[in-house]
Amino acid sequence: MAKGTQSGTIDVLQGTLDLMVLTTLESMGPLHGYGIARRIEQISEATLRLNEGTVYTSLMRLQQRGWISATWGTSENNRRAKYYAITRSGRRQLTAETKNWERMAGVITRLLRTVQQS
Amino acid sequence: MKALSQLRAFVARLRFVPGRRRLLDEVTEELESHVELLAARYVRSGMAPDEARLAARRQIGNTTRVREEIYTINSIEWLGAVAYDVRYAYRLLTKNPGFSVAAIVTLALGISATTSIFSILYSVLLKPLPYKDPERIYSAEIIVPERREQLPSLPASVQAYLAWRDARSDFSEMAALGPWECNLTGDAEPERVGGARVSANFFSFLGVSVSSGRGFNADEEQPGKERIVIISDALWHRRYGADPTLVGRSISINGEGHEVIGIASPTLLVPTGSLLHPQVPFATRVDVWTPIAATRRGLNNENWDHGVLVRLAPDGRLEAGRQQLEAIINEMARVQMPNLKTHATVQLIPIREIYAGKIRLRLLMLFGASALLLLTACASLANLLLARVATRANEFATRLALGAGRARIVSLTVAEATGVALIGGAIGIALATLGVRGLASYGPADVRLMASARLNLPMLTFAIAASIVTALACGLYPAWRASRYQMVTALQEGGRSSFGGAGRSRRVLVGLEMALATALLATAGLLLHSFIKVMQADRGYEIERVLAADISLFGDRYAKAPSRAAFYRELVSNMRALPGVSAAGMISDLPAIASTTRASRTILLPTDAIFQQVVLTRPVAMIRGVTSGYFAASGTALRAGRFLTDEEPGPVAVISESLTRRLWPQESAASSVGKLFRQSNTDSPLITVVGVVGDARPGALDRDPLPVVYRPYEHWAIGPMTLVVRTAQDPAALAPAVRATIRDIDHNLPILAIRTMREIVSSTVAEQQFQMMLTSIFALIALLLGAVGLYGVVSYSVACSTRDIGLRIALGAGRTDVLQWVFARGMQPVLVGLFVGLVGAIAGARALRNLLFEVAPTDPLALGLMSLVLLLTAGLACYLPASRAARVDPAAALRSG
Repeated sequence: MAKGTQSGTIDVLQGTLDLMVLTTLESMGPLHGYGIARRIEQISEATLRLNEGTVYTSLMRLQQRGWISATWGTSENNRRAKYYAITRSGRRQLTAETKNWERMAGVITRLLRTVQQS
Repeated sequence: MKALSQLRAFVARLRFVPGRRRLLDEVTEELESHVELLAARYVRSGMAPDEARLAARRQIGNTTRVREEIYTINSIEWLGAVAYDVRYAYRLLTKNPGFSVAAIVTLALGISATTSIFSILYSVLLKPLPYKDPERIYSAEIIVPERREQLPSLPASVQAYLAWRDARSDFSEMAALGPWECNLTGDAEPERVGGARVSANFFSFLGVSVSSGRGFNADEEQPGKERIVIISDALWHRRYGADPTLVGRSISINGEGHEVIGIASPTLLVPTGSLLHPQVPFATRVDVWTPIAATRRGLNNENWDHGVLVRLAPDGRLEAGRQQLEAIINEMARVQMPNLKTHATVQLIPIREIYAGKIRLRLLMLFGASALLLLTACASLANLLLARVATRANEFATRLALGAGRARIVSLTVAEATGVALIGGAIGIALATLGVRGLASYGPADVRLMASARLNLPMLTFAIAASIVTALACGLYPAWRASRYQMVTALQEGGRSSFGGAGRSRRVLVGLEMALATALLATAGLLLHSFIKVMQADRGYEIERVLAADISLFGDRYAKAPSRAAFYRELVSNMRALPGVSAAGMISDLPAIASTTRASRTILLPTDAIFQQVVLTRPVAMIRGVTSGYFAASGTALRAGRFLTDEEPGPVAVISESLTRRLWPQESAASSVGKLFRQSNTDSPLITVVGVVGDARPGALDRDPLPVVYRPYEHWAIGPMTLVVRTAQDPAALAPAVRATIRDIDHNLPILAIRTMREIVSSTVAEQQFQMMLTSIFALIALLLGAVGLYGVVSYSVACSTRDIGLRIALGAGRTDVLQWVFARGMQPVLVGLFVGLVGAIAGARALRNLLFEVAPTDPLALGLMSLVLLLTAGLACYLPASRAARVDPAAALRSG
């Protein structure tokens, strides 16, 4: 559990990328790193420029926390590839983080609005 | 909660640490595959393959960075640093075997000494006794105020035990035990073993099980039913070859058949020797138990020679129980002996005290001494580490200059100390195991009884804790110093002159070592002097060139007194005929060994009419039967009158000086000759005093001697006799001849140990000897460590100031000036240490005054001699490097600088 959810304060995941990877795995099922990168690219409609290598750092971090698990499989080009899947604790974390994100987003939106009004 | 989740996260991370290289390879593979897939996609959308590949690479970013990050995520930084330090320490230790061996040996010595003593201390003083609820068991003793001066306390009697047991009290259970001498015959060589008569509940009282067979039943305390025994596991193995059919068989003890009903547990612990009470003397081993055949009698003529153990009831109050026992015994005395006007008190001694009371103070003192030794080893180790740090100043300065944190430098040095501590600790534990085994088999009787020679958890824990604390204590200061090297100065000056500070702390450490060594040496000196005084003290008999052998006659051949007398006569005359024997005689109990109550009697004057009225005002004396040659053989001095002869017509006695003083305080020894007294009772025959001899004191000199009445053995023949032989030469050399002479007369007699009187007396002062020897060993080791440390420091300072010395010589200083200069500088910490150590030793010895015999804590002989030993050793340690300094070639020294 991230410490943020315990104390009730808003603490975003290590990076937004981690949250994006988790969401992707939740909605798409098991994927390899390349697949995740493509999905993020597709969703963001190329507005997000991503150093795709960092996806792997994010995957490592998530594995360490036990939120995703990895199994070996075969990729489209017939190479050995690691498929990542979200775990149960990963789902719990995603729900919590999504809530956090929405609260945070709400706060920021309101904040920006006040800035615009003044 | 937060800490817990952090810990969980940490543990989760830890899983990835060992496989982190493999993970890295996998990520590399994934990244390559990723690039390929991406490139293929670009090719599909119309790019040229090379271009596509480039674009893919660009999109994936810096892969090296990704790999680095992943590696960092998966490693725990400080863990890696520690692993590095350990490897580094290992390399250092193997690269400098001289330093490593010195450090490891130093530490191993300190750890093994403290661990051995701790292990003994633990098993004697701390480990729960192997009984059910041992803290509720007490030994009950009786104090008769009028007797107190001669007998500080009395054990109980069988009658007292029965009265206590049958009354209601705060005690849930009671058990009685008394000594029993057993001569085993029949199945194998005749043998005399120690035994005990115990109440039927003895084993269940202690809560120990009988390992095979059964325990005693309550109805077996009746006379006639008591011909059964339980034997020790050791005897069962030794004499009967662990024969499982022995239980149920009959064995012959003192010529009568006894059925073996059980074998005691091998771990059974029972009081031996005079541990329970001086008046209840068991053998040094107890191997046979039989039920007490208790019958109710009057208290008159009752023998007060049984120990009584009581168990406090779960809700019992100790003081209330004590008062109940006191009331019962006084009521019993009032009813049965109305003319006896006294009020006895009862004291309850915790069972632990029975086993540990005599040696506790000595063990604590030894533990203190071993701690001082460990401290010396610590100082010594710190000293070595400081020297190492100094020689590595350049390295540390370089590391600091290259950006290493101070914490890293500290960690490097501590890692080295820890390496030493672990290896030294392991060797120390191995040595301690040997040490404990030695102490458990050669230590004094109480230590042998209680100590377990096996490696145990408390001992191991102690050793490991001691090693770690030592490593930290020794490593931190040098580490702190190392981290403070000024990089610039150290690098500029080639790591030479910046160690003034380290040199100072090393001199302080040497001073500390010297102080500790002095304290240990001085204490050892005091104990040694005290021990010499104990051994040399006048006991009233000779210790040198005297042999003693216990003879016990039993069986049909010696059933009648005349046949025993004939045997003794023949034995003594054959002994006298042996070449090298100047005198021989026999006595019923050696005065050197603890007295037996069986032989102590109240001495009455001829005019005493009513026993109960006078008994408490008359002295108690030991009655000993002797043959005529005993006095000459033992070296007992005649003060007046004559010795006994072999043919005494009437009841006569030779008495000891202290008895004349008690019976006839107004008379001189000479005028006591011819006076009359009675033994035990007002109606017993009058005995004439024919001679007065010097008092015979017990070997340990731990209490005032009871007066002795020596009677011709024909008149006082109780139990076994001891042959005493005075030799012209080394008594031990004569032992085989003595043995052969006994065999010649009767080859069926059990061959008992033949010991020199010195051995017998030594065994009574085994605790003193144990303490003295160990303290001396510790002191010598401390002295050695101190001397080596001093030698190292002086050599080092000579090496550092070679240039300086060269300069002095070049400027005209003589060789002797240099020698004196170096020597004096080296001896400074020694003198300070000597002074501090002596003050400490005297203060310590004051607290231990009770352990010293006729030696003051400030004893000039012991302290002076030991100071001299220290000064000579330290002097040698200083002189060697100093003389090297004096031989410095000024030209070479100046050039090399």
